[in-house]
Amino acid sequence: MITINEITIVRDGREIIYDYSEQIPAGSITAIVGPNGCGKSTLLAAIAGDIAPIKGTITIDELHPILTPPAQLAQIRAVAIQNQRYTLGFTVKQIIEMAGPPEEVMRSLDLTSLADRVVTTLSGGEAQRVSIATAIAQQTPVLLLDEPLAAQDVSSRQRIIELLKKMAEGGVTVVVVAHSNESELAWADKVIKHFL
Amino acid sequence: MKRLAPVIALIIATFIAIYVGAAPIDNFWSSLISPGSNDILWQIRIPRVTAALIVGASLALAGLMAQGACNNALAEPSILGTTAGASLGTVLAVLTGLVQVGSVGAIACGALGALAATSLTFKLANLRSQLSSFALIIVGIAVSASITAIVGLLSSMVTRADARSISFWNFGSLALITRDNLVGISITAIVGGLIAWKISPSLDRLSLGDATAFHLGVDVPRVRLIALVALSVLAGGSVSTVGSIAFIGLAAPHIARFIYGPTHRSLIIHTAIIGALLVVVADTLSRSIAQPNELPIGLITSLLGAPVLIALVSVKNNVWTNQ
Repeated sequence: MITINEITIVRDGREIIYDYSEQIPAGSITAIVGPNGCGKSTLLAAIAGDIAPIKGTITIDELHPILTPPAQLAQIRAVAIQNQRYTLGFTVKQIIEMAGPPEEVMRSLDLTSLADRVVTTLSGGEAQRVSIATAIAQQTPVLLLDEPLAAQDVSSRQRIIELLKKMAEGGVTVVVVAHSNESELAWADKVIKHFL
Repeated sequence: MKRLAPVIALIIATFIAIYVGAAPIDNFWSSLISPGSNDILWQIRIPRVTAALIVGASLALAGLMAQGACNNALAEPSILGTTAGASLGTVLAVLTGLVQVGSVGAIACGALGALAATSLTFKLANLRSQLSSFALIIVGIAVSASITAIVGLLSSMVTRADARSISFWNFGSLALITRDNLVGISITAIVGGLIAWKISPSLDRLSLGDATAFHLGVDVPRVRLIALVALSVLAGGSVSTVGSIAFIGLAAPHIARFIYGPTHRSLIIHTAIIGALLVVVADTLSRSIAQPNELPIGLITSLLGAPVLIALVSVKNNVWTNQ
């Protein structure tokens, strides 16, 4: 369970999120939606422990992400950021191995044929799938994904959605930032859209 | 074969370096297996070549730490101000009469100077609380130039022979190495190498960016600080003993990545081997080309390193992209 309690977040002098509370149940898929610049990714980053609210608290199963050491936090939540950049010539398999066992997640996301490809040569959609696979390989109870479907074709989108549903059924709490409107988010158990 | 080539080249280069010199060595092979049998061989040539191996490995590892910690292809001890800081730390300590060049005390002062200058570069580059590659390089060049100027001024104004010349601090020299000097640089090489080995998996993750490294459990500020300490120990030990030798810290990690891939744990050993090879070859050339005169080794390493680096970029440009 992720509990957001009356948080206010300010970035670059601008109030992005004000006095917002929410509860995200365990073993579910929650989609955060809204127009550009409304603070979707900021909310996800705050849950991930990347940024601290100036007021209020966020807890993941009673643990405060911002106060938890990075190594311990990495066992609780995994994150796939939007537009992951790769600078060194690691292979797809080597990148996923940095997080955990790669084989199963590569099969699930149709990355097995790309296992030995250098990540710097991947297309945008492939690189995004590698980023998602890396987060999933971390095998944490909470999975936070920033626009995981943005650069995917129809079949890849379906594949990712099916995998997330299966993970949620297995008890993983999935939080996804999405641009889609509500009618396209039937696969999510909960949609958050008013948080400013 | 490509993977073994640097090791084979290093072995061959080491024997050539011991063999070649102003004075010929009679009965070279038999003298080589009889310690102390030939003074030129055992008191001058072997300590010098050993120092070249250690210094080359240290500077190369220092470059690997700089590039890994900054996630930046251009980062290296000279550009981050580390080398200049090591020179200043050593010159100040020597001028106060507390230590001699090559002593363990001088190495400690060099490492402290290196750490202080590198920290200053990071502090100034991070003034806007966002460490960009561009700011790091520009600030590093400025810090390095300022400190190098101070070293030059001090070396010129104070007439102490044991403080070494501007040429020594700018271009390096292995000419004055003795067997006693090997202890200090060996210690810094081992300590720096072990630290580098320990944090190498975190440096792999750091290559994915600070945010992703943090998500994967890396304490980014802590790992960066440890890498900078390793960088300072490695560069400080070498620079305080043999002066600044350019390009090794930049070229050796890139050459190693090209041959062996980007995994830092593998690169620790291979970068050290390639750095040692470059310095041994450069030192042999520096004392062979214009005999009996000796050319500054830094000139040779720049001449050797620059084309190698340009060739690497033109052959395979995906070892470090998006910079």
